[in-house]
Amino acid sequence: MRAFSSYHPSVLLIYFASVLLITMFTTHPLLLAAAFLGGICFCALLERPRVFLHSMLFYIPLFALIALTNPLFSHNGETVLFFLSGNPVTFEAFLYGVAMGAMFVSVLHWFKCCNRIMTSDKMLFLFGEMVPKLSLLLSSALRFVPLFQRQFVKISQTQKAMGMYSQDSYVDKIKSGSNVFQTMLSWSLENAMDTGTSMRARGYGVHKRSSFAVFRFAKRDAVMLALILVLSACTLSGTFVFGEVFAYYPRLSKIQLDASTGTACVAFLILCFLPFLIEMEEKLRWKYYRSKI
Amino acid sequence: MKQMSHKMKNSLTLLVIAVLIPCIVLGGMVLFEGKFYTWTSLCIAILSCVPFLYLFEQKDTSANELIVLAVLVAVAVAGRFLFALIPGFKPVTAMVILVAIYFGKEAGFVVGSLAAVVSNFYFGQGPWTPFQMFAWGFVGFLAGVLTGLLRRHKACLLLYGAIAGVLFSVIVDINTAMWIDGTFRLSRFVAACISALPFTIEYALSNVLFLLILAKPIGDILQRMKKKYGLFAGVK
Amino acid sequence: MEILQVENLSFRYPDAEKCALDGVNFSVNSGDFIVICGKSGCGKTTLLKLLKRELTPFGECTGSICYMGNQLVALDADITAGGIGYVFQNPENQIVTDKVWHELAFGLENLGLPTEVIRRRVAEMASYFGIQEWFRKNTYELSGGQKQMLNLASVMIMQPKVLLLDEPTAQLDPIAAADFIATLQKLNQELGLTVILVEHRLEEVFPVADKVMLLEDGNLLFYEHPKKMGEYLRTHMHEMMAGLPSAMRIFEALSGEGDCPLTVKEGREYITKQYDNSIDRLEIPPYEHKDALALELKNVWFRYERDLPDVLRGISLKVYEQEIFCILGGNGTGKTTALGVAAGLLKAYRGDVLVDGRKIAAFKNNELYRHHLAMLPQNPQTVFLQQTVREDFAEICTAMGYKKEEREMMITEIAGKLDITNLLERHPYDLSGGEQQKAAVAKILLTKPRILLLDEPTKGIDAHTKQLLADILKRLKADGLTVLIVTHDVEFAAANADRCALFFDGEVISVDTPTAFFSGNNFYTTAANRIARGRYHNAVTCEDVVELCRKNMPTVEEK
Repeated sequence: MRAFSSYHPSVLLIYFASVLLITMFTTHPLLLAAAFLGGICFCALLERPRVFLHSMLFYIPLFALIALTNPLFSHNGETVLFFLSGNPVTFEAFLYGVAMGAMFVSVLHWFKCCNRIMTSDKMLFLFGEMVPKLSLLLSSALRFVPLFQRQFVKISQTQKAMGMYSQDSYVDKIKSGSNVFQTMLSWSLENAMDTGTSMRARGYGVHKRSSFAVFRFAKRDAVMLALILVLSACTLSGTFVFGEVFAYYPRLSKIQLDASTGTACVAFLILCFLPFLIEMEEKLRWKYYRSKI
Repeated sequence: MKQMSHKMKNSLTLLVIAVLIPCIVLGGMVLFEGKFYTWTSLCIAILSCVPFLYLFEQKDTSANELIVLAVLVAVAVAGRFLFALIPGFKPVTAMVILVAIYFGKEAGFVVGSLAAVVSNFYFGQGPWTPFQMFAWGFVGFLAGVLTGLLRRHKACLLLYGAIAGVLFSVIVDINTAMWIDGTFRLSRFVAACISALPFTIEYALSNVLFLLILAKPIGDILQRMKKKYGLFAGVK
Repeated sequence: MEILQVENLSFRYPDAEKCALDGVNFSVNSGDFIVICGKSGCGKTTLLKLLKRELTPFGECTGSICYMGNQLVALDADITAGGIGYVFQNPENQIVTDKVWHELAFGLENLGLPTEVIRRRVAEMASYFGIQEWFRKNTYELSGGQKQMLNLASVMIMQPKVLLLDEPTAQLDPIAAADFIATLQKLNQELGLTVILVEHRLEEVFPVADKVMLLEDGNLLFYEHPKKMGEYLRTHMHEMMAGLPSAMRIFEALSGEGDCPLTVKEGREYITKQYDNSIDRLEIPPYEHKDALALELKNVWFRYERDLPDVLRGISLKVYEQEIFCILGGNGTGKTTALGVAAGLLKAYRGDVLVDGRKIAAFKNNELYRHHLAMLPQNPQTVFLQQTVREDFAEICTAMGYKKEEREMMITEIAGKLDITNLLERHPYDLSGGEQQKAAVAKILLTKPRILLLDEPTKGIDAHTKQLLADILKRLKADGLTVLIVTHDVEFAAANADRCALFFDGEVISVDTPTAFFSGNNFYTTAANRIARGRYHNAVTCEDVVELCRKNMPTVEEK
C-alpha cells in the first residue's frame, strides 16, 4: 500500500483536507454516499481484514445510534410516523439522522486513512517551513514518548525489586504509579539538559533555522495536485455555490440531477475513490510484472 | 535587504492573520450555511490557538527551554500509557496545570496544545484534535494567569483541577456530540451532557487526585530545574 | 601547524573553593589524536567544554585559547559551531529528533543552509558512516552503538576541524566501543581530523594516540607520547597505573626498560623476547564453595510475548552462597533477561527459579524483596525518588518497616561503609556517575538482602571507582552475601569473580572459575590472557602474567 502515500506530503494534505471538508459540510445524500463508500473502501485496503471487520462492530452501532436517536431530538418534518410521549417522531428527522450517521462514520474513516498515510514526519515537514520551532519541539516530543515508555517499565521494575510496592490494591497502584511518574520526570528533565547542550554544540540559535526534508516535489505530484484541485473545485461550485442546499426539513428536497449537481457528484465520486483506484492500479501492475517473470 | 524581507514576511503573516483568516471564516459561514455551527466551532478552536502558537514561534527560546518543553509534552503523553492500568486516570490536564504554574502561561499553553497533537499521533487524529488542543492549551494558559492564587492555596488548585476537568469534557466530548447536528439544539446538548457525565466526573476526580498527590513533588522538581539551569527566568 | 593553543588556562566554578583547572598550557597540532585521562573530577570535562565555546560553563575563566591562530572568544559563531565538534558520553541524550535523517540534518538546519546543500551532505555522511540501511528509521529503534555512531555522524556533517569527545564509549558494549574507536581512527587517518578524546578505557585508544594528557586536580601532569606514560606513572607511583592497557601494565611491573609495548601483539613480543617459559603454568587452587545454593535456575525458558522468539532457552545455573558469580556474553544473548527472571520481575513460562531453595512463586507480594534478594539495574538513576540521598534512604527504611531509632543508625553505618557520608545531603542527580553508583548500592543494601543482583555495575566508571566497587563487593561477600553480576567487563570478572558463566543465544555455554574459564576461551578473554596465550597457562590477569614472568626471570638473565 505504497502508491498513494508516496505522493508529496503537501499533495496528500490538500487531498485529505478537501475530502474531509466537503464531507463534513455537505448534507447532500449523493455526496455523502460517495464519501462513505470511498472512505470505507480505502480504509479496507489500508487495514488488515480482521482488524477492519472488527472495527465494524463499533461503527455499525454508532451509525445506528445516531440515525435512531435523531428523531428524539428533532421534531421537524411533515411526515409524522408516530408519537412518542407526546412528541412527533418524523420520517425526515430519521433520514437526517441517517445522513449524519453516514457523515460521522465517513469522517472517522477518512481520518483513520489520514492517520495511516500522513505519518508524523510528513506533518512535521509540512509545518516545518511555517513554524520551524514548534515542529522541532514536536519532533523531539515524538522521539521522547517511546523512550519514556521504555523508561517507565525500567523504573517501575527497579522500584518493585526494592520491595517498594506490592501492587495488589488500588491505593498502592496509584502510589507506585505516581512515584514512578515523579522519578520519570526528574530523570527525563535532568537528561534533557544534555540534549539541550548537544543542540547548542551543533549551533542551535546561531541563525534562523532552515528546514530540510527528504521529500521532493516531482512532476507526478503536480499532476495529482492539479487533478485534486479541479475535482474539489467542481464539487464545491456544483453544490455549495451554484447548487441548491439540500433540505431535510420540513420536507425532503428532491434529488435533482441537473448539470451542476451532476458534475459535482461525479467529480466527488472520483475524488473519493482516487486513492483506492491508484492502489488497485499498482496492485494489478505488479501482478502483471510478476506474471512476466 | 535581509531585514526588509524579514519585515515583509512579518507583515505578510499579519496580513494572513488579520484578513485572510476572517475571510475564510465568513466565507465558510456563507458557503456551509447548513452546517453553520460546525464551521464556526471548528474555526474558533483552531484560530484561538494561532496567536498563542505564533507568539511562541516568534520568541527566542533557548535550547534548554525548548527541550524541556518537549520533555514535558512527552511525559504528559507517556503518562497516559503509564496510568492506563488505572481506569480514568489521565495525567495530562494536571501536568499542564502544574507546568503553567511554574513555567508560565505560554509554556502551559504550548505544552497543553502540543500534548493533544502528540497523543493523537498514538490514539488517532480526528475532528477532536483541534478541540483538545484548544481545551488543554486554554486550561494551561488560565492556570498560568492564576499562578499566584493556585500556588498559595492548595484548595484553589484542587478546585481549578476539578473545573478544568469539567471544562475539558464540555469542550471535547460534548462539542463532538453537538457537532453531529450541525446546529445547536438544547435537548441534544442536555442529553450529551448526561451521557458524558461519568467521564466528566472521572476527569475532574482524577485531576483532583493527581494534584493532591503530585502537586508538591512535581512542583519541587520543576522549581529545582528552574533554579539549577536558569530556565524560564522571566517567570516568577 | 598548531590548531589549538591553550595558555595558562584557569577556571573556577561559582562558589567553588578550588580551581577546576589551574594554569594549563598545551598546544595541539592539526591532525593529532590526543587522549586525555585522569580520575573523575580531575577537570577533563571542564577542559573539553572550555575548548567548545558554546558549552563554556558559568564561572571564572582566565588565560587564553587560540583556535587556528585566533582567540576562540572573538570568533564568529558559525566558525565555532561548525569548526569544533563535540560528542558526549550518553548516546541517548544527544539525539534531538525522531528520525535518523532529521538528526543528521539538524546541525546544518541550525546554520540555515538550503535544502540542496543539506541533501548532498547528508547523503555523503550517511554513505561514509554506513547509515544508509537505517537512514529512514526512527531514532528510538537504534541500538546504543548505532546511536553513538549517529551522534558522531551528525557532528561530522558540520565538517569540523577539531573533534572533542567526552567518554563516548563509556555506555557501549565492547564490540560497539571498538567499532567506534576504529571509526575515530579512520576519520583521523583519512581526513586528517584532529581528535581530542577523554576516555577511561585506554586499552584500544592508546595504540592510536599521538599524545596522552594526564590531568589531576586541574593540573596538567603529563602530555607526551603514550609510550612514555608508563615510566612517568611508575616513577611518580601514580594510581592511574591500574587504568593502563594490559601490555603496558605488565611491562612496567616487570622491568620498564626498553621500548614500551602498547598492543597485545607488542606485549606478546615483549614477553617472548625477554622471558623464558620453563615454568609455564600457575597452579590453581581447587575451588571451594559453600554447599547451600543461594539461587538456582532450572531449565528456564522465557519469551517476552507469545509470538516473539525465545530469549532464554533452557537455562540452568547454580549460584552457591557467598559466591561472586559473573554472567558474561555479547549483546542480546539473554543476560539481562536472565537477571530479570532471577529477580522475579519476569516470569519463566517453563522451568523453575529457586531462591534459598524455595520456589520463587512461593514468595508472596513483597516477601522476596524483604531481606532475600535485591537488584540494581543498569542505570542507577532509576533508583532515586527523593530530593536528597538521605531522604531516599529514609524512604526505603520506612518501606522496609524498620524502627525509627534503627533507621538513623543503619543509614549512618551503610554510608560509612561505602564512604558516601559526605553525599547524604546532596540531590541524587547532582552526583557523578561513580557516586550515583555507590549511593544506589547503598540504597539497595538497606533492604538487607542476602542475594544481590547487579546489572553492568562497571559501566561508565573509571578504574579507580571500579577498584572501590570491587573492594565493596569483597566486603559484602565476607559479610555473607551472594552476588550475581551481569557484565561485559571481562577484566573486572577475571579479577573479582569466583565463577563465570558465558551466555550465548539464550543458553549457558560454559561455567567455570575465572582462570579456567578465560584460559579456555580464545577470543572472549582478557587482554592479559591474550598476551600470555601459548606461552603461559592459567594466566588471566596482569598480576598472573607478571608473577609467571618473574618466576622465569633468572633464566633470561643467564642468557
